[in-house]
Amino acid sequence: MKQVFDVPDMHCPACVMRLEGIEDDLPGIQHIAASYRKQRLEVEYDEAQVSEAQIVAAAEALGYPLHKK
Amino acid sequence: MNSLMIAFITGVTTGGLSCLAVQGGLLTTALAPQVSQSDAPSHKGGKRREVATQPVPTSPGALPILLFLAAKLIAYTLLGLLLGALGSMLQLTPFTRALLLIAIGIFMVGNGLRMLNVHPIFRHFVFEPPAAVTRYLRRKAKAGSDAVTPLLLGALTVLIPCGVTQAMMALAMGTGNELQAAGLMASFTLGSSVVFFAVVYLATRMGALLEKNFARAVAIVLLILGLVSVDSGLNLMGSPVSFARLTRSASAPGGTPSAEAVTSTAGENEVRITVLNNGYTPVSISARPDIPTRLTFVTNNVRSCSLALVIPELRVEKLLPPTGEYTVEVPPQPAGKVLRYSCSMGMYSGQIVFDQ
Repeated sequence: MKQVFDVPDMHCPACVMRLEGIEDDLPGIQHIAASYRKQRLEVEYDEAQVSEAQIVAAAEALGYPLHKK
Repeated sequence: MNSLMIAFITGVTTGGLSCLAVQGGLLTTALAPQVSQSDAPSHKGGKRREVATQPVPTSPGALPILLFLAAKLIAYTLLGLLLGALGSMLQLTPFTRALLLIAIGIFMVGNGLRMLNVHPIFRHFVFEPPAAVTRYLRRKAKAGSDAVTPLLLGALTVLIPCGVTQAMMALAMGTGNELQAAGLMASFTLGSSVVFFAVVYLATRMGALLEKNFARAVAIVLLILGLVSVDSGLNLMGSPVSFARLTRSASAPGGTPSAEAVTSTAGENEVRITVLNNGYTPVSISARPDIPTRLTFVTNNVRSCSLALVIPELRVEKLLPPTGEYTVEVPPQPAGKVLRYSCSMGMYSGQIVFDQ
C-alpha cells in the first residue's frame, strides 16, 4: 500500500529526519520519504502489519498533522 | 578579529537555535540509551513536539554532550580549513570574491525569507541532506550507547548543517584563507555550542520556546546579515550603488566630499587617508582631475580587516602594515571620476572624487 500525505507543518529539513524516523517506531513500513521542499510524505507499508491511522497518529505525535492527498 | 567575534555572536544568537533544530534530535537520541541503562529520571510526558524538548537525562551528566560538541567543533574547524583552502585554490580575485559575497548574501536573504514562510520557492534556499545520510545518522544515534557514539555523531553533524551554518560555510570559503576560514567556523560552532549545551543540558523547554518565539528574529537577523553581505560585495566591486555609499551621499548632499586633497607644488594631488580599525577617514575626498595623484594610506596600530586594502580599478590588493604608510601612484583621472576603494571583504569603503 502506498500513500502520499501533505505535511504543511514541516518548517525545516530536520523535520524530514524526524518524520522518516517513524519507520523505526512502526512495523511494516517498507519505504518512507519525506520532502521539506514539497511538504510531502510518501509511505509504502504493509497493511497486514500497520494501518494508515497508526502512521497518521505517529506523525501527529511528533507534531506533524498529515493530510491525505 | 572582528569577523571572528561576529561569527561567535551569530553562533550564539541564530546558529545555536537553528543547529539545535536540525541536530538536537540526534544528540537526545544518542543520550536516550544511556538513560534507560541508568535508571533514568522521570520521562515527562513522552514524545513532544519539538526536538529540543525531548526529555534529556541528567544522569549521564555533561560528558556525552561535551564529547558531542567537542567532536562537532573539531569537525567544523577542519571543514573551515578545507573551505578556506578551496577558496584560496580558486584564486579569488576581488571581483570574484565580490560576486561570491553577493551570492552568499542572496542565499542568506533567501533563507531568512524561507524561515518567514514568505513563499514556497524559498525552500530551495536550503540543502536537504541525502536520505541515506539522515537514515544512517538516525540509526547510529539510536543504536549507540557508549562514549564513541556522541563523538561520532558530533563529528557527523557536518553532514547535516543547518541553514545558518551553510551560510557561514559559504562565508568561510569567501575568505579564501585556510586559517581565517577555520577560525570563522570554529568561532561560529563555539558560539552555537554554548546555546546547544545550555538547552540540552538543562533539558528545559527553552529550545522549543525560543525556536517558536524567535524564529522570526532569527530570520530577520539572517536577512540583515544577507543584506550586509550583498552590500559588502557591491562595495568590493567598487559599485556606486551600495548601501554604504548611498547613505554616504545622503548624509553629504550632492555627494559633496568631506575633505579636500592637498595639491602639492609638483602639480600632483597629495591625498592622505587614515586607516582606522573601523574604516577610512576621510571617507570621501576631493581631488583635481587630469593630474597624477599620490595616494597614501596611513596606519597607526590598526588591527582590523581595514588593513586589507582593495582598489578594484587600479587592481591594487595590498595588506597594509599595522603601523606605517603605503603609497599608490594614481595616473591622471578625468573630471567627474570617482575612484572607490574598500577593505577586502567590502565592509569598509571610501572614495576619491576628481571634481575640483
